[in-house]
Amino acid sequence: MRELLLELLGWLGYLERPAVLLQLAVAIGLMVLRRFAARRNWLRQLRPRAYTPLALVVLAASCLLLAQLGLPYGISGQLGVLWLGWYALDLLHPLLQRRLGAETARQLDSRLLRPAYLLLAALMLISSLDSISDLAVAPLGSVLGVPVDAGRLFNAALITYLVLMGSGPPAAAVAWLVQRGLASSDGSRKAMELMLRYTVVGLGLMGVAVHLGINSTALIAVAGGLSVGLGFGIKEIFSNFVSGIWLLFEGSVRPGEVLMLDGDPCEVRSLGLRATLLWRDRDNAELLIPNQTFFTEAATTFTASDRMRRSQVSIGAAYHNNPAEVIALLEATALKVARVLPQPAPKALLLNYGDSAINYSLRFWIANPMDNVGICSEVNQAIWQAFRDNSIEIPFPQHVEYSMQWPPEQHQPNKFTQQQP
Amino acid sequence: MGQLVPSMAPPPAAQKSQRRRDRLLRLLGALALLAPLGGCTLGRELPNVLHLGVEVNPDEKIDAELRADTLQRLGGLEASYRQLQPNTRFQDSLYPEQQLEWEIKHRNRAGLGPDLLLLSGDMALRLLAAGVTAPFPQTEVDLNQFDPQVLDRLRNPSGDLAGLPLLVQTQLACFNRRRLPVAPATLEQLLDTSAKGHPVGLSMEAYNLFWTAGSFGAIDAIDTAAAGRQPSGAQQQAIERWLTWLQNANNQQRVTFYASQSSAEAEFREGKVDWFPCRSSAIPRLRKALGDGLGMAPLPSGEGGNASPINKLRVLALGTNVSRSSRKRALAFSRFSVNPLSQRNLTLGSQVALPANRFVRVPLSSSATLRAMVTSAEQGRQTNTLMALTHSNDPRLAEIQTLLTTLVFGEVPPNKAGQSLVAILRNRP
Repeated sequence: MRELLLELLGWLGYLERPAVLLQLAVAIGLMVLRRFAARRNWLRQLRPRAYTPLALVVLAASCLLLAQLGLPYGISGQLGVLWLGWYALDLLHPLLQRRLGAETARQLDSRLLRPAYLLLAALMLISSLDSISDLAVAPLGSVLGVPVDAGRLFNAALITYLVLMGSGPPAAAVAWLVQRGLASSDGSRKAMELMLRYTVVGLGLMGVAVHLGINSTALIAVAGGLSVGLGFGIKEIFSNFVSGIWLLFEGSVRPGEVLMLDGDPCEVRSLGLRATLLWRDRDNAELLIPNQTFFTEAATTFTASDRMRRSQVSIGAAYHNNPAEVIALLEATALKVARVLPQPAPKALLLNYGDSAINYSLRFWIANPMDNVGICSEVNQAIWQAFRDNSIEIPFPQHVEYSMQWPPEQHQPNKFTQQQP
Repeated sequence: MGQLVPSMAPPPAAQKSQRRRDRLLRLLGALALLAPLGGCTLGRELPNVLHLGVEVNPDEKIDAELRADTLQRLGGLEASYRQLQPNTRFQDSLYPEQQLEWEIKHRNRAGLGPDLLLLSGDMALRLLAAGVTAPFPQTEVDLNQFDPQVLDRLRNPSGDLAGLPLLVQTQLACFNRRRLPVAPATLEQLLDTSAKGHPVGLSMEAYNLFWTAGSFGAIDAIDTAAAGRQPSGAQQQAIERWLTWLQNANNQQRVTFYASQSSAEAEFREGKVDWFPCRSSAIPRLRKALGDGLGMAPLPSGEGGNASPINKLRVLALGTNVSRSSRKRALAFSRFSVNPLSQRNLTLGSQVALPANRFVRVPLSSSATLRAMVTSAEQGRQTNTLMALTHSNDPRLAEIQTLLTTLVFGEVPPNKAGQSLVAILRNRP
């Protein structure tokens, strides 16, 4: 590490060269100038976005001038090219958004394109300052008894990053192909995608260990150390990770499944390394639930064997309405609601005789458990309308208030009461 | 939470002072960048770095071991120089021979070229011709220390000096003492050794195989052809004897021709080869692998004369886009490196190269390695004419390489190969 730091420190020596300072001043000066000019809109006829191309043109002209004067221009040129590339990424972003959607475009841009560009830029600049092949073998120290140099560490970090960030799209593509071939469900596709991704990441990390030259004995030693660590510090993390893998294989908690959580149906959005992300329709909340919760506690799911849910609404009808007519009407009404499944057929039941009404229950099946509340509302509205059309009364308890006099002997009964026979 | 956000923003007065501070920082940053342009003293605070680019031979691969060896060897010289100039720091960068010219051109375009380059003589001439390096100032005091013939080889047609000779890397015979107590002194003994069960390795590269030509007295013939003249009948026969031996050697069960010098070296380090012609620059690596088992001797002679190794002269060449102070440092370090004391320390300390300064006496009695290297340097003088007539980028060398490969593998008979070789050499670019 010391050697590498000394190497980096040595680059400062170039700053004593006037040609280097001149180029830096030209390039960095133009960057600063563009920022000021764009912020304060010095050229009113120009849009803020047009300042960068203008500055790039000026920088290119400066490079040409330096070349004409026989002065070095490589640093200014390189900084200009890098600036142009960065600007091109800015222009590319809206196009990606249109093609891939805002979220995917943002992820692609921030996780892959810009880091890759910055990496290339760094390599390009370093190759101007030093010999890359020499710098790559600069020793940094040792990991598990294996000497590690800058090149190996760089490669290892790059592979790890690419595996972590870049394994998503290929895994999704393979899972999509398998889904097309086997006609499996969306949940299975997502589960397969995640498992493929874990496999690629696992293989990638092993590849990195092999690339670094770490031998199996050292890895066993690490595993031994980790097992102690698992017992204390990272037990929860490991438990959540293993629970996640288990749940995926089991298929009980997969993306797209609907689970009941605190009485609310929630859809599983993603199954992460540590936690499962659920979406609750009621308030559009996203809930992060540790994986081991589903592993250790009972959970209600509506999507284990199929996605249908049997729902029900309760209704009271007056005592003078014929229960057989009410039941027939309720069943016919449910069938008229578009999102109620005709099969299995809706079923109305007389549940009990209440204080002021006969209580009925209308049970029906729906295709999407997440739509339960909305469909119940539609069914209740349809029942109200059907009862009104068929003059069926929905009774409800009524309260009558009247005043009393004290002492009770002086109390006069209400007029309404007096008129009763 | 939404209502909290406005209340967390700093008050207008604080915002104003923050803006002022930001502006001041920006101004200071700009001044720090521009100050050295205005002749400010910032330059004095920067480290006095001497950027030294080192060419790595094509038969060597840049790895941690080579880097450590090179830095250690140069480190001794640099440490001695730092005793005189403690403020000077060195930054050594290794470049593969194939990429060196492109890399230095690329860096020169950015004004980031090295101050000084440690190159082979051929490469120094090439870079000077390409305008990548600057001619070395020729003062009598400096040049008196070197053999005039060596200096002539480093001059371009205009008489500019491509670099200051620093050291000579030689070609020797390396052998495994544990398996082979004494190195063969002649080519005949070499084949006998292999017949007795000792594996012998030879590099297929013409540049590393050329030492065998001298042992058959073929150097005069090759020099004549390289000068564009037709060799005499006797000279032609010497060439054919040499080529016949090469073809026969490949037919020996325990003589192996390796595609590159590095593969032969790797086999030797692994103990699969008992004898092979090595480069003196490889001695530290071989010593690390074989320890005391490593033996070194002059290359075997033959019935026609001594071996004719091509030894590499390493020179210090000046970079082009340097500041006045860094040029001064580069010149001072170059002169320090070739003074007799430094040259002696360089030779004795590393024992991988001979001094270029002709006034430095190499203590032969103290080291068999140095003895072998001195013998090799003397034998190598046979190739001076050829070296003067060709250069490392000469298109004839590629053709000769192809011819030797086809010859060794029996694709072409020695007499026909001899005629082709002469034809190739006479066809001067």
